[in-house]
Amino acid sequence: MADPFLSIQGVSKAFGQTTVVENFNLDVERGEFVSFLGPSGCGKTTVLRMVAGFEEPTAGSIYVGGKDITYLKPNQRNVGMVFQAYALFPNLTVAQNIGFGLKVAGVAKADADKRVAEMLEMIKLPQFGDRYPYQLSGGQQQRIALARALAPKPKLLLLDEPLSALDAKVRVSLREEIRSIQKQLGITTIFVTHDQEEALSISDRIAVMYGGKAEQVGAPFEIYNRPATKFVANFVGTLNVLEGTVSDAASGKVKVNTEEISLKGKLNGSKTGDMLSLALRPEAISLGRRPGNDASLSGQISDVHFLGSVIRVRVGIGESSVSLDTFNNSTTPPPVVGEKAEISFSSGDVLVLH
Amino acid sequence: MKTGRFWAWVTFILGACYFFIPLIATFEFSLRMRRGEYSFDAYSVVLGDARFQQTFSYSVIVAVFTIILGVLIVVPTAYWIRLRMPHLRPIVEFITLLPLIIPAIVIVFGYIRMYGSNSPLPFLASARGTDVLLIIGYATLALPYMYRAVDTGLRTIDVRTLTEAAQILGAGWTTIIGRIILPNVLIAVLSGAFLTFAIVIGEFTLASLLNRPAFGPYMQLVGANRAYEPAALAIIAFAITWGCMSVIQVLSRFAPKSANRPN
Repeated sequence: MADPFLSIQGVSKAFGQTTVVENFNLDVERGEFVSFLGPSGCGKTTVLRMVAGFEEPTAGSIYVGGKDITYLKPNQRNVGMVFQAYALFPNLTVAQNIGFGLKVAGVAKADADKRVAEMLEMIKLPQFGDRYPYQLSGGQQQRIALARALAPKPKLLLLDEPLSALDAKVRVSLREEIRSIQKQLGITTIFVTHDQEEALSISDRIAVMYGGKAEQVGAPFEIYNRPATKFVANFVGTLNVLEGTVSDAASGKVKVNTEEISLKGKLNGSKTGDMLSLALRPEAISLGRRPGNDASLSGQISDVHFLGSVIRVRVGIGESSVSLDTFNNSTTPPPVVGEKAEISFSSGDVLVLH
Repeated sequence: MKTGRFWAWVTFILGACYFFIPLIATFEFSLRMRRGEYSFDAYSVVLGDARFQQTFSYSVIVAVFTIILGVLIVVPTAYWIRLRMPHLRPIVEFITLLPLIIPAIVIVFGYIRMYGSNSPLPFLASARGTDVLLIIGYATLALPYMYRAVDTGLRTIDVRTLTEAAQILGAGWTTIIGRIILPNVLIAVLSGAFLTFAIVIGEFTLASLLNRPAFGPYMQLVGANRAYEPAALAIIAFAITWGCMSVIQVLSRFAPKSANRPN
């Protein structure tokens, strides 16, 4: 990356004896949409708050547009932020909320009014200017919060779990709207979420965080298909993990339960007798043999869930079990619990986790 | 009617009688100044008395300054405690409760000893200085009520998020407190202000021992020397206090409705 717009360099944060963020590094290009994804307590919001200026790093530096903003006050950073709890000012109307940053910046009233109208148009709520926040739904309030953050034309947009408080349907439509506005304005955006689907669907890149560190930073496709660590593999998407033992390192044979599969070139230096965890996405597994699948294992169907268009089947393989989805076919009856079954997959889809 | 409900009503009626009968009796007595018939003569005498007007005006002015001082001290303190120093809350709450524990007479004797004409801060050396000391004393006496009112108001809004939202939009502390926090707790501040007003209007000890022409000492003086006028004054004082309470109730309907706590 030539000249990153936002550069977080070796940032750490400790509260007393507890280290919340440890040596976090990330470069973000201008106009990029990067998500911080991780479970609660992984440090994602703390990093965001350090970028906003609400927390001071214990170590490291933060640069925006080449300027060191590490110790700059939040009101001097020209950064927009949307909060999980909306944070609209209850005593101000929608228009006054959106115009707040402009008024503070001393923008002339006529220009501010024009900008507020533009923002209301952008979020498709042009007739809501005179209403108060309590008169709006959660989704509308969050759109107003987005407009308010964008009105002063910030250099950077920070979104702190902005969809968490909304119901599922609104969440999906609003995330698409956020992404569309972000693309339209070309504003560099950091989006914090613990929802993997959200992160995968709207990000240019994702930083998967765990224990205060970035476990992996990459494009959604890369994060999902080539997870760098066991945590990333487990956290992003559904993952089936089978325990195996290397039976012949030279030929890449791995014994799973009582059967052997060939994983040549994927053992990464493992020796014969080593224990391995083999991870497979549900969509990589087929019930029965399929052309192109070079590995198969026998088991017994332990659970069947009919979900309409798909049927989720759980197959027990020795002590472990794998979950897979098959499309519902009206002419074929669904599998029956207790039946013997064979699963097949391509050895290329197996992720070997050490 | 269920037994529980019956006894609840009995208790309520007994409580209401305990409160209202002395009040009605006082009111009835205040109307008896003219022999053989009811009249508002006692009220005319009281309201027409120049000392009533002087002392009441004095107390109103002192109350206004007390409210301003109380707001200037309490709002930033309660806000800062909520925002940055929640660990100090028990200490601050204890301090604000002290005026309820320490009698006003102890406070005023402390003032007389500390701020006499020979002290480095000779408040008592002039009438204006004594007025200032009286206002400080009243602000202290009103602290438990003002602090709790403002703190309750702050509890209804998400102080931290609203502050951060304003900060990130470029606002400084004065703008945040003046345009975001204060308007959202204004009703609570007004509640505290009216409670302060009611306290100041009826207060006797501080004003009397600091020898200021306040309404409290005037009521005591009238009570000691007249028959019907004290009853009329008591009713007027009640009416002022109830008026304040009614204003609080009316204003609370205009409180900004918070939209900062998502379900």
